[in-house]
Amino acid sequence: MSISSRIPRLKRLVRWGGAIAAGTVLLSACGSSSSSSSSSSSSATKPTITLVTNSWEGSLANNVVAQYVIEKDLHYPVKLLDLAEIPAWPATASGSVSAVLEVWGHYNHYQTYVVGNHEVINAGLEGPTGNIGWYIPTYLLKQHPELATWQGVKADWKLFVTPQTAPQGEFLDGAPSYVTNDAALINTLGLNMKVVYAGSEAAQLSQIETAYKAKKPIIFYWYTPQYFNHVYSFSQVALPPFTQACAKLPAAKIDCAYPPYYLYKIMNSKLPTTAPSVAKFIQAFNWTAADQNSVSYDMAVNKMSGSAAAAKFVNSHQSLVQSWLTGAPTPKKAPVLGT
Amino acid sequence: MTVVAESNERAEVVQKPEQLPPSARANKVVAAKLLQRPYTGLFVLLLAMVISAIYGGFQSGFPTSWVPNVTTWFNSVANWITIHQNTAPFFVHFLTPIGNWLGNSVNAVTDLLNWLSWPGVIALFAGTAVLAGKWRVAIFVVIAMFYFGLIGLWSASMSTLALMSVAVLISVVLGVPLGIAAAASRVVEEAIRPILDLMQMLPAYAYLVPIVLLFGIGNSGGIIATVIYAIAPVIRLTMLGIHSVPYETVEAGKSFGSNKWQLLRKVQLPMALKPIVLGINQVIMMALSVVVIASLVGTGGLGDPILQALNIVDVGDALTAGVAIVFMAMILDRIVSAVAENVGRNVSTKGQRQLISPRNLRIAVGALVIIAIALGNVVGGGGSFPAGLSLSLSAPVNSFLSFLQSHLYHFSSIPVIGGTSNLSSFTTLEILNPLTRIIGDFPWWLAVFGTGVIGYLIAGWRRAVLVSIGVTAIGLLGMWTDASVTLSQVLVALVLCVVIGIPLGIAAYWWPPLEKVLRPILDVLQTMPAFVYLIPVVLFFSVGNMAGVTASFVYALAPAVRLTNLGLRQIKVDMIEAGNSFGATRFQMLRKVELPAARPTIVLAINQTIMLVLAEVIVAGLVGAGGLGYDVVVGLGRDEFGLGLSAGLAIVVLGIVFDRLTQGRPAGRRS
Repeated sequence: MSISSRIPRLKRLVRWGGAIAAGTVLLSACGSSSSSSSSSSSSATKPTITLVTNSWEGSLANNVVAQYVIEKDLHYPVKLLDLAEIPAWPATASGSVSAVLEVWGHYNHYQTYVVGNHEVINAGLEGPTGNIGWYIPTYLLKQHPELATWQGVKADWKLFVTPQTAPQGEFLDGAPSYVTNDAALINTLGLNMKVVYAGSEAAQLSQIETAYKAKKPIIFYWYTPQYFNHVYSFSQVALPPFTQACAKLPAAKIDCAYPPYYLYKIMNSKLPTTAPSVAKFIQAFNWTAADQNSVSYDMAVNKMSGSAAAAKFVNSHQSLVQSWLTGAPTPKKAPVLGT
Repeated sequence: MTVVAESNERAEVVQKPEQLPPSARANKVVAAKLLQRPYTGLFVLLLAMVISAIYGGFQSGFPTSWVPNVTTWFNSVANWITIHQNTAPFFVHFLTPIGNWLGNSVNAVTDLLNWLSWPGVIALFAGTAVLAGKWRVAIFVVIAMFYFGLIGLWSASMSTLALMSVAVLISVVLGVPLGIAAAASRVVEEAIRPILDLMQMLPAYAYLVPIVLLFGIGNSGGIIATVIYAIAPVIRLTMLGIHSVPYETVEAGKSFGSNKWQLLRKVQLPMALKPIVLGINQVIMMALSVVVIASLVGTGGLGDPILQALNIVDVGDALTAGVAIVFMAMILDRIVSAVAENVGRNVSTKGQRQLISPRNLRIAVGALVIIAIALGNVVGGGGSFPAGLSLSLSAPVNSFLSFLQSHLYHFSSIPVIGGTSNLSSFTTLEILNPLTRIIGDFPWWLAVFGTGVIGYLIAGWRRAVLVSIGVTAIGLLGMWTDASVTLSQVLVALVLCVVIGIPLGIAAYWWPPLEKVLRPILDVLQTMPAFVYLIPVVLFFSVGNMAGVTASFVYALAPAVRLTNLGLRQIKVDMIEAGNSFGATRFQMLRKVELPAARPTIVLAINQTIMLVLAEVIVAGLVGAGGLGYDVVVGLGRDEFGLGLSAGLAIVVLGIVFDRLTQGRPAGRRS
């Protein structure tokens, strides 16, 4: 192949490429201007409401129901955005996100964005109380009733030995974004066990499922509300009760149960002016762990689409939905240190 | 799909004659001679080892008192950004607008694709393939794009396609000039290379949070994270392409009186077209490999359904979307290659044996695209694919997987081995745990200077200094223990890849049909997002380090097989003929002729495998393997930017040390 014969083709390529690039830029310019103009023309009336979906199914359940109601009754377009917990805060602050309907703890972010620069508003409690702790499958509790408390776990540590932690027992932790005190607890309570960090909730759940199917012993970090608790039967292991004094200890010295997490909602501080009815709805929105689990279960296990699961829930809970549209804001509670 | 060996360039680059003033050259020669005298360097290293052993004692690991507070420092930078993100003028008036502009261009391309409507998009891509003369590619494009629609992910696919297009466009616009600059100047090249290493090896997880703070969520931050991760190959391969233009050709161009610019435009760039296209293909592959991670910062697209499937432990759903990503990779790869090949093809050989004249074909395709767009907009009701046709792999995949697990996992499922759970416990107890302990207990001086000695023996004192600094840096980052966990897994995964991959490569060379079978499987292994097989890996091997090793092995097997095969196939026919004429048996041939001849490529295969295993360290962290990968994941998940970045940097350093230890002598020194 000679070079000379290629040159005209290359020239053509460059020309075509240039033309296409210019065209794309032009198109994208019109595209963005038209889209921004269309959004601005519609924003005079209805801006898009963006809700954050975090990496647990309950978060999606909140959002599909909220989306259904906001679109049907308040007539705002709603977009659900998959986003990790940490980026959700600056995004809510800047307004690229309208609201997050379920926040667990996040004391530090709360101080920065709600207390500090007022870019984010506390939109009140969501309803369910997050209950974090140590769990075992119920069949295991039936075989070993002493496992109802941490002392029983301390005595029976041999049950939980795995190759990963041998010669110690294994304690299975889950998603790395959730705050865990388990390594500290094992140390302060003097258990002959070691934490294995599953690194993702998916890995942790798969491991729990495998053990469950074979009716094998397993002990793990878990929480409610979670639809998975309706698929499998888990029992909580009692830890030394939570106290304020214990919460103030340095992380490595903690020797008591997890504090209760009062799950709350946050929204962008400008939402009450840009979409007042939606802001009111978000502040009034609340339901129970059972409500949330039923929607999660319909999506995750019954494989219903989000909108179908939401429609089913809304149709059977008319008065609750009405209270979100006309009711008062839910009470507020700021997250405490250590959550 | 072509796998490019990144470090190929180092072996192939034609070294420019060094232009130094005579005196400097003489000094250099003396110094080099002194240092190259056999064993002088070795002696220095051993001496250093003994002195530091006496000084530091025989304590295991890295002295914690030496570790500076890097992590805290990184954290304070991130905090500063958090506080000033909406006030500092540089952020507000420079970075945020850039982010918005980029995000808007991705959104505009998405709008454009939606306006084209699904029949229009399919017609446009298939038509491009037809115009490039690739009918089979066109048929594949149609099937693959129908798949996007049938699984109900048409609009997610278009979001990803838009993100990919803009990422590739930016990578080319920035990368080709940078590559040219690096090819033209040794200084630029030296300055750029470590930055490229860093961008390519630093896990995107480690820098997502600051990117989101500076540029915003969604496509704004997503596109920047994607380009940072994916741009390196296009720069490297442009540089390689220009370097590999034969010296004589450049001289010929000069003798015709071309100036530098003309030379570049008319000679060097056209001749470097092939490597540049290869670079673009690599950009596409790398960009697609961060689609799921980009979804964590709200870019949407095909990563979303995978993350959502993970929340409900639905492998079938994750696989359905994962296949879409594989198809997306194949479509873009084939189209870019087809177009480039068509452009590079000699004019005179075109237009022979064709039923339709090129002009008519162009008109026909153009008409088809316009009709398709019109149809889509008028009849089809806009961009979205008709619902109600939805296809899901979920149920069959999940039941198949649970069938497999119940038959393979438990004790006595498989003769001799016993079951994957036994295999996993054996490997963990007998290999991984002891290995981690041994590596973690290595006294720092033995590790630092021991690696130095290996480096010296492989490539001289420069390499020795480099790898020693690298090993020290891991300690100084405070990552000694976690790096030892990761290193043990990397080594086991590497051994598995070599033990299984190289024989597979040889088998495929002996028996070509096997290669045909392997090719699509390897393609899938390389482009399927690891998030899809995160759950299966745990189902068979339990949460822990063996799950991590398996995930890494699956991902990194492809280059071991491919490059071994490639190396053997490149052997010159006369060498094999000569072997045959001496009456060598099949195994003698392999041992005495073929493997030695393919050695450089096989070494490269090992090098590439290590790089891929290291890229997979994050996924290992997601299945309970701990180590550096888990630290990086925690960094993102728990707002501990410093920890994530320190661990990410330790992965990069580990990668560089491994790379330099498996690369052999620098090309320029080879006599």
